[in-house]
Formats: sequence, structure tokens, C-alpha cells
Amino acid sequence: MRNSSRKAAQAKKRYSALFAGAWGLLLLASLILPHSAGNYYTRLGSLLFIYVILAVGYNIALGYCGMVTFSAAALYGVGAYASAIAITRYGLPFGVGVLWGMLAACLVSLVVSIPAIKVKGDYLALVSIGVLEIIQQVMIGWQGVTGGSVGFHIDRWKIFGLPLDLRGKYYVLLAVMVLCLAFQRNLVKSRWGRDFKAMRDNEITAGGLGINYPLYRVFGFLFSAGLSGLAGAVYASFIGYLSPDSFGFSFSLFVLLMVVVGGSGTLSGPVIGAAIATIIPEFFNASPDLKQIVYGLLLVILTQVLPGGLVGTVKKLFHEIDDNIFVGADSRRGAFNFEDYTVSSTRDTENILTMKGLTKCYGGLTAVNALNMTVKRGTVHSLIGPNGAGKTTTVNMITGIEKPTAGSVEFDGQDITGIRMWDLIHKGVSRTYQHVRLFSGMSVIDNVVVGARLSYTHSLVGALFRSRKMRREERASYESAMDYLQVIGLGERLNDAPGSLSSGQQKLLELARALCMKPVLLVLDEPCAGLTETETEQFSDLILKIRNAGISVLLIEHHMSLVMEISDYITVLDYGKEIAEGTPEMIAPNPEVRRAYLGEEDKAC
Amino acid sequence: MQQFIFGLANGSIYALMALAIGMVFSTTEIINFAHASVIMLAAMTSYWCMAYFHLSYILAILIAVVINVLVNMLIYKTCVEKLGRLSANIGWIVTLFGASIIIDNAARMYFGTEPQPYPYLFGGKVVHILGANIMLHEIMMIVVSLAVGLAYQLLIQKTRFGRAVRAVSFRRDTARLMGIKSETTVLFCFGLAGVVAAISGALIAPITFASYNMMSFIGLKGFAAALIGGLGNTRGAFIGGISLGLIEALIGSFLPAAYKDAISFFVMIIVIIFLPGGILGAKFFSKGRTGKEKI
Repeated sequence: MRNSSRKAAQAKKRYSALFAGAWGLLLLASLILPHSAGNYYTRLGSLLFIYVILAVGYNIALGYCGMVTFSAAALYGVGAYASAIAITRYGLPFGVGVLWGMLAACLVSLVVSIPAIKVKGDYLALVSIGVLEIIQQVMIGWQGVTGGSVGFHIDRWKIFGLPLDLRGKYYVLLAVMVLCLAFQRNLVKSRWGRDFKAMRDNEITAGGLGINYPLYRVFGFLFSAGLSGLAGAVYASFIGYLSPDSFGFSFSLFVLLMVVVGGSGTLSGPVIGAAIATIIPEFFNASPDLKQIVYGLLLVILTQVLPGGLVGTVKKLFHEIDDNIFVGADSRRGAFNFEDYTVSSTRDTENILTMKGLTKCYGGLTAVNALNMTVKRGTVHSLIGPNGAGKTTTVNMITGIEKPTAGSVEFDGQDITGIRMWDLIHKGVSRTYQHVRLFSGMSVIDNVVVGARLSYTHSLVGALFRSRKMRREERASYESAMDYLQVIGLGERLNDAPGSLSSGQQKLLELARALCMKPVLLVLDEPCAGLTETETEQFSDLILKIRNAGISVLLIEHHMSLVMEISDYITVLDYGKEIAEGTPEMIAPNPEVRRAYLGEEDKAC
Repeated sequence: MQQFIFGLANGSIYALMALAIGMVFSTTEIINFAHASVIMLAAMTSYWCMAYFHLSYILAILIAVVINVLVNMLIYKTCVEKLGRLSANIGWIVTLFGASIIIDNAARMYFGTEPQPYPYLFGGKVVHILGANIMLHEIMMIVVSLAVGLAYQLLIQKTRFGRAVRAVSFRRDTARLMGIKSETTVLFCFGLAGVVAAISGALIAPITFASYNMMSFIGLKGFAAALIGGLGNTRGAFIGGISLGLIEALIGSFLPAAYKDAISFFVMIIVIIFLPGGILGAKFFSKGRTGKEKI
């Protein structure tokens, strides 16, 4: 195994050099293009740079936040008009005009994304189409400001009073594009990028990790809109004339095409996609209809044949390039020691969790009925009961996924009834799920390291400039994530996709992620369902270690042998009501428990 | 009165579109973004059948219906079926828009860009009711769409196929286990939506003229109507469509013409924000459909 990880490290080094070389060559080619090619190609190249900026922005929303929207043309258009009006009507300098454009696009994006707090997917797509059409109507209708369908002429592009010629424009655009690509890279490779991807892959789990996903959607869309607005603003100054027709629905589809062809959710996808989408029409200058049909075919075929786009597909061959830079499979800092684990609790009450009269009704069905239960600090408390007894509902009420109909939950001396799930982890509760909920688009170690997001102190600016503090904190959290991976025995698999793990390993990975959040109380919802005998034993060892480290555990489980072996206390539920509580020795002979599990004694066979 | 009937007539077109969108949504949980293009295709093919092959109105529309059914099934086969689980994969939004671009531009290539006059029902005869001039065609728009809506409800509630559709829309995989051919049912729903699209194409084309971009605004309003009524709710589709048509007719008379089309999108956004389930999806009407994912 050591050997294979060394090989992977070598491959990563080789591929990194290869790709760096390729990008360097591309940059060099773009630098000399205006000197070796005519004005036509210089113009085309400049437009390509603008499209790349736009695609980068769109990729943040589509690829990293998983939001399909069609308002790209509107955001781009608003950015273009706002900057053009600021520059031409009010005589503001170019830089201020660009800022206006970005600001205006961000404002419009709020109109699209605030409904996204409540809905997602297809609704979001429809809202964005609605906004797009409204914006276009305004561009045409508000003639006093936008010039209506006649169009709008912009003063010549000047920077610090110096008018730019075509070559000057080209180089400015190249510089802006490179900055945007750097922005995208640093954003994606920071905790913010990971949070976005987590939200994209699994909202509920992301919420459990403390990600306020409705708000993050708005944030993600703001980033996307800012870049679209920037692209619009530079486009306005570059092209010198704006007309509402350029910002219609078909342009939004063009932006979508760029990202889908290149590969949504990849860093270089927007560049490749924009290049292809800009070059294709060159072959169809004679027949614009055919060009559109080719676009349509590409959208239909590529989405199904190459779901990751060109870049996503090619990258599979070079997957080592994404291997983690902070830790490798052989980086062992000595075995992880559970004794070093410190539980940070604010108070020191005897009971960590107290439920009083907790009730949940679904229509006429009472899933949990006036449950009173306490979990003592530093114990393993099992919640058992036949199927449909209301165990998961109880846990969902504790962890903020369901709102209780009545009753209260108190954690560590504070009332947490009906708390939203992303606030819960700040109190110190983390959980695993009955059905495995991993982030399928992220590597194994990234799945764990999202759990460490509360430990970060660096700011967004720090992340974008990759400050020393940011890198130090990243290294620290990756190293601790690696420790947890070693504990569950998946240290060798850190760079693999979670989908390639067995179901037992996936459950263990969920546990590692929950531990990485450094909880005071760990809630495990059927961790051993579907696991083999040996895996179950491994799990029970781990749970005991976790308890000995001072973490209280609330466990839902069906494996009676496991429950009886490791629990300090057991609560038995049946039809939403507590029927027994006590130590395993008290529960095992309890006649009511036996009846709930095995049926009436005299009636049974 | 004239505005009222006009709003009602437009509204019933939106309702027909919302109905077809709802048919597809109820079994697949996807919005057929190519629907507007299919309507346009029906209008164009029936126009060409009448103008160049001198077929009768009924025959032309029958041909359009057949073509539409085939095209819609083709859309399902090529753009939707291969994507697998649709709730987890948003690729269908992309592929369906792709299909829509292909249809629109193919129509533009073959039928030209010139808008063509499409015949009104009853030759555009006008009647006077309560002092208003109303075209018989407008009344027929309302009558025909109500008839289509009723027929669909009958089909859904009373027939074996309808039961299958309801089962598939509730739990696709369970329905398959019960011996219902889920895939075929979905395919039929697409085909049926094609029939409705052909009818709405024939009703709307006299007003917009038959051209490749006749649906550019109306198409989106169909989605708005479907949302207002509640996606997948085929009865709500009529409430959504007709209320949208009336709102447009009423508010449209106070606003400059340039902003008229913006109204329906504005209404749609408001509905999405405040009633994500549509009007009939509000708590008062909903009958305990659990859309929530189990955790």
C-alpha cells in the first residue's frame, strides 16, 4: 500500500508539472496573439476572455452550488447597462463604472436567489427565467435611461484617462480574466468552496454540519452575479454599444452551454467550454440556424454522454491531480490518542440532554407521545424499540430536522427546542444518519474535513489570498481529519470517492465526520444497520472509545447484543411512548419490553 | 367585457399548457421546458398541411397531433429516459432546453421566418354580447380547453390508464413492483401532453400568427400558470391559467404596453415566494401529499 501511495504522489507531481506547463503555454499564446494575428482574432480573443469571466461566475452557481438558473444574461446585461450609464451619463471613471455594474448585478441576483431560500431546482430555474424576461422588458421599455430598443452608446474605454486601443483592451481583459480564474480557484479550494459543494451534494447533512444552506445559496449566487456583472461591465466598455437583444434568453443558454460543455464544477471547465462555444460559431457563420441546432444537440448529447463535461471526463484519467496537498496516505503522526480528546462543554450539569413531554403528530398519527427522557453526561444511552416506535422522529426533533408539536428539549442546560439544524452544532451536537448521507462529489478526506469548519478563524479575504493563517488552519484541520480516518481504518482511501467505499465503510466515514465536529453529544442513528459481524464489533469498540473520551452518545440501534453490551442506559419506545428505562440488566428481563419485541408470551408459538 | 373575455380566452390557453406541463410533471416530477416548442411545431405543421397540401382543417390538425405525439415521445426517449433518477439529476433542465432550441431552429430553417396567418375557427365570425364584440374563436378557446380538461380528469379518475398514472405519480418504483409499466405510462403521458399541445397550438396560432417564435412569451406564461395552479396539479392548472389570463387583462389595461408581458412573471415570482405549492397547494386544499424526503 505504501508503494501505491508513493506512486500516486509521483503521478500527482508529474501531472501538476504537465498541467502547469500547458497553462503556461496557453498564457504565453494569449500574450503574443495580438502581435501575430490580425484584429479579427484579437477581437475574438477579447470576447473569449469576457465569456470566460461570465462562465466562471456561472460555474460557481451551477457547478459548485448546484443551482440551475437562466438569469445569466440578465445579470450580464444589468452589469453592462449599469456601468455604461455610470460612465457615459455621469462621467464616472471606468473602475467606478465596473463597481456599479457588479453592484447592480448583485442586487438583481438577490431577487432571483431570495426565493431560492424556500425553493430549489426547477422553481429556481423558473424564477430566474421570470427575472430575465422582466429585466429585458425594462431594458426595452425604460427608454429614458437605457435608450430602449435603439441601443446605448458608451464613451470610449479609458483607464486613468488613457484611451485604450484594441490591443490595450485585449491585455486589460486578459488580466481581468486571469484574476477571475485565480479568484475562482482560491474560493473553491477553501472552506467556502467545500461548504458550497457540501450544500450542493446533500443539503440536510450540510445543515447538520452547521451550514446555513439557504443563506449559502444566496451567497453563492452573489459571487456568481458579481462576476457576471463584471463581465457585463467590461463587455460594455469593450464593445461600445449595447442593445437589449444581446441579453435575451438565448444568451443565457449560451452561457449554460459553455459551462456544461467544459464541465460544470471543474476549475478549468469554464475556460475550455467558453473556448469551444466561441469557436464553434466560426464554422457556422453562413447559417445561424444550424449553429443554434448544433448548440441544442450539444446540450442534449453532452449532458447524457459526458455528465462531467470535457474537463470532468479527461480529469478521470489524471485523478491524482486532485489528491490532497496537505496530507498523504503515508503521513502518519503517530496513532491518534483518544485520551487527548478534550470535550469543550460550557456547563457541567449532570444531564447533558433532557426531553420533557416531547410530542410529534403527523396529521392524526402521534409518532412520539409525551416523551420524557434524560441522557446523563458521559454515558452511552440507547434508544431502542420496534420499527415505527418513533426513534428516528425523536432524534430528528432533537437535531432540529423536525419541529416538535409540543414539549421541550434541553441540551447542556440550554433550551434547544425547535432549533434550526445549522445552529445546533454550535451548541455541540453532531449526528449520523440512518441512511448514509455522504457528499458524493467530494473525496473521502474532504467529507471528513467539512466537519472541521467551526474551527476556522480566517476570513474570506484570507482564503481568497491564501494567507499564511489560512494555510496553517487548513493543514491543521486536514491533519486532524486524517487522524479520524486512521481511527476508522480508512487512512489509505483518503483521496477516493466515497461511492467506492463499502456500506460499512461509508457508515464509519459518517462517524469520522461527526467526530471531526468535536461534539459534546454524538447522536448515532442506526450506525450498524446492514453491517457485518466484524464491522459491528469494530463499531462497538469505537463507541466505547468515544464515550471514554468524554463524549456522550445517544444511540439508536437494532443489534440487541451490541446495545446490551455497550449501553449504560437504555430507553425503550413503543408506539411513541416510553415503556421502560434503565440499565441493560434492568431492561433485559422487563416483561413489557419482551412483549413489544417478541409479542405476547402465551400467544407466541 | 371585451377585456374579460379576452383574458378568459388567453387564460384558457395558459391553462391548456399548464395542463400538459402538469401531465408530464405528475409522473416524472420534471417540467417539460420543450413544451412551448412542441406547440409551435403543431401550429406550423398544421398550417403547412392546410396551405401547401390543401388538406382540410380537421385532417391537418390530426396530422399535427400525430407528429406531436411522436415528437414528444422522442423527446422523452432522447432527453429524459437515460438520465436515471430525475430528482437527483438536474441534467433534464439542460437537455430539455436543448431539445427546445433544436425544434425552434429546425422550424425556422424549414418553415421560414415569416409569420403566417392561421385560420380562425368559424372564419373569425364576431358576435355581439352585452355591447362587446367577441370573436366566436375566443369563446371556442374557452370551451375547447374546458372540454380537454374535463376529458383528462375523466381519463385520470375513471380508467385503468388513469389509475396507472396516479400510481406512478405517487411512487414510481412501487408502481413498477405492482406490475404497472412505469416507463410506458410516463411515455404515454408525454404523448398525451403532445396531443394537448397540438390542440393549444391550433387555438393560439390565429392570434399570434404561425411562426417559429410565436411561443416566445406565451410559452413561459404556460409555466407560470402551471406554477400558480400548483405543479402537477391538473385541476389547479385551470385555476392558474385562467387567473393569470384575467390578471393580465385587468392589470394590462393600466400599464404601458411594454411592461404587459412582465406582469405574469411578476405574479409567478410572487406565487413561488409565498405559495411554493401553488394556489391549490396551500394548506387549505392539500390532502396530505408528503413530498418530503425521509431522513
